[in-house]
Amino acid sequence: MSGAQNREAVFPTRQSLGLMKAKLKGAQTGHDLLKRKSEALTKRFREITRRIDEAKRKMGRVMQIAAFSLAEVTYAVGGDIGFQVQESAKSARFRVRTKQENVSGVFLPAFESFTTEGNNDFGLTGLGKGGQQVQRCRETYARAVETLVELASLQTAFVILDEVIKVVNRRVNAIEHVIIPRTENTIKYINSELDELDREEFFRLKKVQNKKQRDTAIQDAELKATRDAKAAKENAAGEDDKENEESQDILGEQEDADVIF
Amino acid sequence: MEGLLFNVNNGYIEGIVRGYRNGLLTGQNYNNLIQCETIDDLKLQLGPAYGDFLASLPPNPSTSTLAARTTDKLISEFRYVRANAVGSLAKFMDYLTYGYMIDNVALLITGTLHERDTRELLERCHPLGWFETMPVLCVATNIEELYNSVLIETPLAPYFKGSLSHQDLDELNIEIVRNTLYKNYLEDFHNFVNTDPEMAGTPTAEVMTEILEFEADRRAINITLNSFGTELTKADRKKLYPSFGRLYPEGSFMLSRADDIEGVRIAVDGVGDYKSYFEATGMGQNSTGAGNMSGGTGSEGKSLEDLFYQKEMEISKSAFTRQFTFAIVYAWVKLREQEIRNITWIAECIAQNQKERIGNYISVF
Repeated sequence: MSGAQNREAVFPTRQSLGLMKAKLKGAQTGHDLLKRKSEALTKRFREITRRIDEAKRKMGRVMQIAAFSLAEVTYAVGGDIGFQVQESAKSARFRVRTKQENVSGVFLPAFESFTTEGNNDFGLTGLGKGGQQVQRCRETYARAVETLVELASLQTAFVILDEVIKVVNRRVNAIEHVIIPRTENTIKYINSELDELDREEFFRLKKVQNKKQRDTAIQDAELKATRDAKAAKENAAGEDDKENEESQDILGEQEDADVIF
Repeated sequence: MEGLLFNVNNGYIEGIVRGYRNGLLTGQNYNNLIQCETIDDLKLQLGPAYGDFLASLPPNPSTSTLAARTTDKLISEFRYVRANAVGSLAKFMDYLTYGYMIDNVALLITGTLHERDTRELLERCHPLGWFETMPVLCVATNIEELYNSVLIETPLAPYFKGSLSHQDLDELNIEIVRNTLYKNYLEDFHNFVNTDPEMAGTPTAEVMTEILEFEADRRAINITLNSFGTELTKADRKKLYPSFGRLYPEGSFMLSRADDIEGVRIAVDGVGDYKSYFEATGMGQNSTGAGNMSGGTGSEGKSLEDLFYQKEMEISKSAFTRQFTFAIVYAWVKLREQEIRNITWIAECIAQNQKERIGNYISVF
């Protein structure tokens, strides 16, 4: 049998047939469910890919504007304010919080940015000159960071979804191409073995019957023969023995030949 | 009268500086610069003016290194002039460097307050503001020590005296410290050019007074505009206004009470130049247009700060029309600084492919 190596090691019994049938059914249901999950995830995945594309383009534009506004600051202040800004920043104004989003049982982290109010550490930078550019530059960069945060949450979702979709697809394929055929093979094997047993049994019964019939026929023949012989003998002995026999029958306890009907 | 003896001591310097002034980039040069497609092209165009200093740059240098190299040229020329200066001119040039010193000291104070390694701060200091005892600032580990042992020895000590104590250095925002120092510096400089026996009553005093008054007014207006929406109180703001200039005293007083851009506009109404600037930028009409070279949006006109720079350049340019004056040194340094800013701006525009704004530089020759 070709599927001999591709089946589970079970004894071909009726019980295991039942088990296998249940297993096949389970596998098919699971396959359907996983397939649907995979499709849902893939849909989501495509959407995220599209949004990443958009976000990246937006980031390109925003970062360009931001870099340019920094150039404006350099032009207006006429010096390097980087150090001063670094030193005067004490606590984060722009913060990020995460939340979880559930897509078909997969938890995707989503980052959400918000600014804390009243936290204006370098409000006085460039007081003498260029202060407005500094403020504007800060706003532009805040926007840029917002885009980055958005992109970051999309990218994280992208990576996680990618992983999950791979796992799910592997499972779908495993069920479709390994587990289901194997179970089917096993069922087929058990069925064939059971059929074989049935046939053997039938044959055996037949044989037994044949033998029995033969035996009965022989016995019948023998019985017939003895009967015939007996009948002949009695006829020959005649009446003389009749009384004797009768007396014998009455008096003697001697055995008689068994009467077979 | 001043022409009689001026050249005995200062004729050589004046000649040199006028030579340097002729080396400044002209409008024609700028036109060539803005045609450039890459930084390398730009470098090539700058060749005649900055050849030696740009030669060692790698291909396609960053704009900041470009700016650093062009500054190097200014520094070396300034040092040469300073080395040849004598008497009042030497003093005058020292005064010129005090402004940069203030920036450096502010930087070092910030660093010390945050317990940074001051050695790395020294690299960031402006070379023009370098003074002998500056490396000693590295030794000081806290503000009190810094004040008592180092700052007191520097030429900036008088600016600290009377307006800032070492407690202030700990508490005040460094930007306020810097502006207080700068205010004192401007007043002192103004006083110096008008009282020094060699300068009082000469064209130097005349030109320098004009420049310094403009500088004082510009700072006052800028501080007012930039302080809107910050925690700087009006009283504190008033302390940062220099006590001279064309706006002083009425204009300054009105500035100190201004709540919005409209208030500033009213305050400067008395001075024709500034009034016309405000009108040119449209700041009187719509208060949202406070921006100067506003990022990406509606930058059709010149901004207030651009106009101030323009004015400064014009004053500096006209300083060269006067004979026998130290002011040309000051004017030359300012012109050269603007030139460096222009080059950096053009380089940035080229590097970032933002050609539509490339014409924002200020050229007066």
